[in-house]
Amino acid sequence: MIGAPLTVPARLLPSVRLRRRVALFAASIAGLAGLFLYLHVDPLILVSDFHYVTGVIDEMLPPNFRLLWVKPSIWQSLVQTVSMAFLGTLVGAGIAFVISVLAAGNTAPNGAVRLVVRTLLATERCTPNIVVLLVLLIAVGIGPFAAMLSLCVGSVGMFGKLFADAIEQVDPAPGEAIAAAGAGRLQILRYAVLPQVLPSVVANSFYAFDVNLRAAVALGVFGGGGIGFEINVARSVLRYKDMFACLILVMVMINLMEHAADFIRKRLFSLEGELR
Amino acid sequence: MTWNGYSLARYGRYARTVAVLALLIAVAAWQCEVSLSDLVRGIVKGLSMLSLFLPPDWSAFSEMVRPALVTVVICLIATPMGAALSIVFGLAGARNVAPAWLRMISRSLIAAERGLPEIVILLILVAAFGLGPFAGIMALAIGSVGMLGKLVGDAVEEIDARILDSAAAVGATRLQVIRHVILPEILPSMVSNSIFRFEVNIRASVLLGAVGAGGIGFELNAAINQLEYSRATVAALTSLALVFLSERVSDYLRERILTGELA
Repeated sequence: MIGAPLTVPARLLPSVRLRRRVALFAASIAGLAGLFLYLHVDPLILVSDFHYVTGVIDEMLPPNFRLLWVKPSIWQSLVQTVSMAFLGTLVGAGIAFVISVLAAGNTAPNGAVRLVVRTLLATERCTPNIVVLLVLLIAVGIGPFAAMLSLCVGSVGMFGKLFADAIEQVDPAPGEAIAAAGAGRLQILRYAVLPQVLPSVVANSFYAFDVNLRAAVALGVFGGGGIGFEINVARSVLRYKDMFACLILVMVMINLMEHAADFIRKRLFSLEGELR
Repeated sequence: MTWNGYSLARYGRYARTVAVLALLIAVAAWQCEVSLSDLVRGIVKGLSMLSLFLPPDWSAFSEMVRPALVTVVICLIATPMGAALSIVFGLAGARNVAPAWLRMISRSLIAAERGLPEIVILLILVAAFGLGPFAGIMALAIGSVGMLGKLVGDAVEEIDARILDSAAAVGATRLQVIRHVILPEILPSMVSNSIFRFEVNIRASVLLGAVGAGGIGFELNAAINQLEYSRATVAALTSLALVFLSERVSDYLRERILTGELA
């Protein structure tokens, strides 16, 4: 093999790789610039207008925690936000469970019902929360009730499908066994299907509560009440110190709720055997 | 003691749980101002208003195309920005790359961010940059760091220590280890997570738009505030289609990445 020319595929040559990388980099920069141009936004205002950001931060500091005793309704608005998430999750999960029975292949009365329910659930999942809220605000009026209902609708979309999938994956043997012993449809659901899906239903509901709590803050901004509403009010009257205090409260609340949910979940699942 | 075959001995021990739950529900319902009469009235009112929302005013659709594109473009800019930021925060939050004090700072910033909904971040940014797409872009980019930064940090920490040691043993500096060992290792999952985040951002940006970040959410909110309900229906349907499409595209791309076709 002496004298055989050493050939390296061109794509492995350092110069080619470098050129390709530079081209890719340039292309993505150009693409990004194009996108900014499309929006008529100058990304450099991040640098040139940064003093506004520091200005706002200056305005926000220190957070005005005096709010907590000067304006005790803040506490109520926190409770309100948690309540919205709690009820929305609970009612939503309940409705989702009933609906998922109709959407699961092995429990639905027939294929047509299953298809219709599945399509409705898919449509709901594609609908942004805000659309549901805006419609509900018109229907039941501004306030926490509208926000709770829209969280409820959102939870049904989120969990109807998950629950239905869980039901479709249950082991058919127990159901067939008690059907052979003469169990009716509802009895099969209660004694063969429910025990098998309950752990996943409960676990998903805890997750839903976590998602819904954040959404409850967001929906409050649009007139759903609760702490989100307080934040928006404080911002629109330029009381940034109050707003910052509320923000910290929100973070603390979300953290506390996460820990509380974890604690309850652990206790529940240590009882899991008994739950069945 | 039995009632209809249900014995007190069997179900009685749930009594306390049920009582606590009932109490919680009662308090929550009172706080949320739940009222069945409002619900019934709302349903009746909603049904009677259906004629205002329907049929959709399709002539408005041509005016919805650009806002929809603006929403997509906002997410197209914000997601890569967030991904790049989250690589920085993720590396700084990984035990095997960063010193303990840096990890602490980065991890608590990421956790704090995850505790704040995007809309709250947007409200702060709007105070600084004013209404418009730029505040929306920044809010979504920062919002992405909460999720992606944690994922990157966890993925880096899971890298086999022997791989890092062997790179260091041949004399690689920390930057070289990051560039030639860590980045290639986390890149596929990073791309896949970012695509998922894009989908999440599309949903979020409809909401942010309603506050004033522009795009389809803004059109929707404006149409409802101006009582042009049949126009609002078109905006709602457009945003629905947008979310649906982004979900399909994201599912398709992530499946391709997962199976290694698009590596």
